[in-house]
Amino acid sequence: MNRLTKRLTDLKKQNKKALVAYLVAGDPDIETTLQLMQLFIESGVDVIEIGVPFTDPIAEGPIIQKAHDRALAKDISLTSIFEMVQKFREIDNNTPIVLMGYLNTFLSHKNLIEENKKDSVDSILVVDIPGELNLADYGIRNQNINTISLISPTTNKDRIKSIAENSTGFVYYVTLRGVTGASNLNINEITNNIEEIKKYASVPTLAGFGIKSPEDAKLLSSCSDGVIVGSSIVKMIEENSQTKEFDRIGQYISELKQAIS
Amino acid sequence: MKSNKQSLPDKNGFFGDYGGKFVPETLMYALEQLESTYNNLKDDENFKKQFYKDLSEFVGRPSPLYFAKRLTNHYGTGSIWFKREDLNHTGAHKINNTVGQILLAKHMGKKRIIAETGAGQHGVATAAVAARLGLECHIYMGAEDIQRQSPNVYRIKLLGAQIHSVDSGSATLKDALNEALRDWVTNVDDTYYIIGSVTGPHPYPMIVRDFNSVVGEELISQSQNLFNKMPDAIVACVGGGSNAMGAFYPFININETRLIGVEAGGEGVQTGEHAAPLNDGTPGVLHGALSYLMQDNSGQVKDTKSVSAGLDYPGVGPEHSWLKDSGRAEYVAVTDDEALKAFHEVSELEGIIPALETAHALAYLDVLMKEFDSNSNIIVNVSGRGDKDINTVAEIDGIKF
Repeated sequence: MNRLTKRLTDLKKQNKKALVAYLVAGDPDIETTLQLMQLFIESGVDVIEIGVPFTDPIAEGPIIQKAHDRALAKDISLTSIFEMVQKFREIDNNTPIVLMGYLNTFLSHKNLIEENKKDSVDSILVVDIPGELNLADYGIRNQNINTISLISPTTNKDRIKSIAENSTGFVYYVTLRGVTGASNLNINEITNNIEEIKKYASVPTLAGFGIKSPEDAKLLSSCSDGVIVGSSIVKMIEENSQTKEFDRIGQYISELKQAIS
Repeated sequence: MKSNKQSLPDKNGFFGDYGGKFVPETLMYALEQLESTYNNLKDDENFKKQFYKDLSEFVGRPSPLYFAKRLTNHYGTGSIWFKREDLNHTGAHKINNTVGQILLAKHMGKKRIIAETGAGQHGVATAAVAARLGLECHIYMGAEDIQRQSPNVYRIKLLGAQIHSVDSGSATLKDALNEALRDWVTNVDDTYYIIGSVTGPHPYPMIVRDFNSVVGEELISQSQNLFNKMPDAIVACVGGGSNAMGAFYPFININETRLIGVEAGGEGVQTGEHAAPLNDGTPGVLHGALSYLMQDNSGQVKDTKSVSAGLDYPGVGPEHSWLKDSGRAEYVAVTDDEALKAFHEVSELEGIIPALETAHALAYLDVLMKEFDSNSNIIVNVSGRGDKDINTVAEIDGIKF
């Protein structure tokens, strides 16, 4: 069974919410990313979402944009990311790995995805496509990799059904109108929309984009199956990338985990 | 009944393999809303009346088709004609599209207008139409372009719009587009995004083409009146490709007219330092559409190089990619140096200072005129005037004001 599906199913059985943590591969370098992934797991992360750097990340706010730039300066490509994840699998064969990125990078590496050595990657999330777009139609396919579609506050009700059905990993509910790391959460709207999604989705619905504190995480976990935290972690990575002392991140993730438990 | 070639894009926004709507989910609703508004309005008599009235009274259309006598003599063959988009209000073809899109924005009740700009012409054209309707207007412009197009920056400010300098990436047009898209994702409910070229997600390439097709429509009747047949070739510069698309589209089924797009060859296409995706790119997705793109093997978008800010863009409108693959249009490139030479030559021979973008189309006449006999009629789309470029050219020539 796909690691992501298994992990989310197990959590659901235990009546627990999922904590998904994001970092950009190669920010500040591949060795540190592997080290941070270990730290994530030790601190209670259920799913790791790896940002695939792109030159033109139109859905990202300034914090994650800069992380993409730092990674690109190290020539990080999807090839080096697959190698990194294979390396990670030698020490951890249970934690689900989601790759989050932009269509053009995945289009340029169809063979790599089809091959997916050691079944290392579990899921792909492409940010710059409509939710019902089937990646397989564009040659991005592997039966052991599922896909995650986004639904936003502006998604029409009549499209929610087809998007939810197209999403085989989980449904990613974008909690706000804006880029990653923005701050205009409207909890009533979020609750109503996630309820609507749950009518159609056979996979869990997780919430992300504007969560930047344990309080936000607690609030959003109450109406979803879990939360995705990105910008606030990436900011801490940036601030500590010189010293490479990341205790603060471990502490922060533990607090997030506590908040949604 | 339109022929097959003119009936594109299809219902999903594709021109053959190119185009589409590759955007974050948050924007899907806005694109659908725009598409349905446009489809409802485009054949509406009142809407068309208003559009053509504005083109006539605010823009000053039709723009003349002018016989470039000394340039014709210079080449000694054929007749060279200039489509004078440089005479439009605000100085370029860009105003045709903004006049149309602002009517859509008004109809949709949007209170806030955003746009990206490279050379600044689209920024000026957007600021002008927004001012006219009293709408709040924000223009995103790369920091490097703000430097090299300072007269237009000031014009945009005079027209009451706010300029946002974009420092990310290469700080040029592509990055301004990224930032405008981020603004739109954030303010999608009350904001209308006036894209300035035949790029971006469907329905923009279609809408911008349609509004700017007034250029090609006029050319058909002007050619008939002035030389009593269709032209042998239309030459236009291609960055995103809106001036070329507006001139080409009405001619797609007129097979005797060659359609020639001229890209920015920068230091030379073979050097890799250029902005010529149709000459030296591969299909990829940028800014919402699948089209030819300058990218590396990892799918990262390459930095571009051109003396002309308006052509300094790694992508191109999807319909051009389709016209290239189908063979209906030809795409070539000229270098910065060749464009600069034409800029000076045409200024001195014709008393018209062309935009550096247009100078690329003019430079290609050096090659093209050898292919035509004296009975031929060649139209160059003079997409804009060069007043905005005098600082850039003076600096290259070592002149200080």
